Amino acid sequence: MATAMFRSSIRSALRGGASRVTPASKRTFASHASVEEEAREAAKWEKITYVAIITSTILAVVNLAKGHSHSEEPPAYPYLHIRNKEFPWGPDGLFESKHH
Amino acid sequence: MIESQRHSYHLVDPSPWPISGSLGALATTVGGVMYMHSFQGGATLLSLGLIFLLYTMFVWWRDVLRESTFEGHHTKVVQLGPRYGFILFIVSEVMFFFALFRASSHSSLAPTVEIGGIWPPKGIAVLDPWEIPFLNTLIPLSSGAAVTWAHHAILAGKEKRAVYALVATVSLALVFTGFQGMEYYQAPFTISDSIYGSTFFLATGFHGFHVIIGTIFSIICGIRQYLGHLTKEHHVGFEAAAWYWHFVDVVRLFLFVSIYWWGGI
Repeated sequence: MATAMFRSSIRSALRGGASRVTPASKRTFASHASVEEEAREAAKWEKITYVAIITSTILAVVNLAKGHSHSEEPPAYPYLHIRNKEFPWGPDGLFESKHH
Repeated sequence: MIESQRHSYHLVDPSPWPISGSLGALATTVGGVMYMHSFQGGATLLSLGLIFLLYTMFVWWRDVLRESTFEGHHTKVVQLGPRYGFILFIVSEVMFFFALFRASSHSSLAPTVEIGGIWPPKGIAVLDPWEIPFLNTLIPLSSGAAVTWAHHAILAGKEKRAVYALVATVSLALVFTGFQGMEYYQAPFTISDSIYGSTFFLATGFHGFHVIIGTIFSIICGIRQYLGHLTKEHHVGFEAAAWYWHFVDVVRLFLFVSIYWWGGI
């Protein structure tokens, strides 16, 4: 009896008391924060976006300046360039013709 | 809302779109199989099916926008439906991508003798993960930051800033797709080069397809934000787009770590 009462009091404490129960129709999913708080968060994420864009741009320039390496053709292993039947549109796939 | 209605539920009108969508999907599937087996009329049926499907998507979502934004049928209770539905959709997408990752790890963890017993298979020159692949992981992450910026801007009632944030989101998405196309074009292997090529292009290709869907979703949100459809209190469509965008972002992180990085060394 005593343990049952103890348990139920723990449970109601965890729920934050019966008065805190809100119906499903009142649920707000996104945030409970105030408008000022949201504006601060928006400004913070705006800054993060700018930093990320700058970093990406630098990396993009570095990568594009490097160019890409041409690797030599591998030996004709049977598991490379597999052709079991013809494609409806012709011999090669979309990214398959390599003339560069 | 109708004055006499004494409950907060949306009793929908009969709609032709479920059956037209089903017929479009049927024509697409049958047409696709016929096309790939070089049957006569396969390409025509496939094209008709896709046009039918795209048309259905357009008019169905148009109807939902009319019911929610202009007729006010989407009360707080009604909004729960699309939210739970979209969460379940993303869960199903997680399972779909799990299968693609599993196909890759199944083939790479114990490479068969047929591909030389090693991963990447003998003769496959892989991409350096720290070049374009790393950059193309950072770009979707930046786009994810921009969509979070848009979310807080909407909640703060800053409508113009939210449009700018969505423009940033979409621009980064387009840059990602551009780099991905470049990577595909320059890749020294193709989808028909061993199980490596098959699993690589299957997983990264489906991810790229999802990025394009997410880009269209974000463009629609940007247009709706510009038109004033999304308010501080009611922006379920935007939230779904943001969830989807973060999901696509997380898939890219897993792609980078497991396929480009771990699978490429």
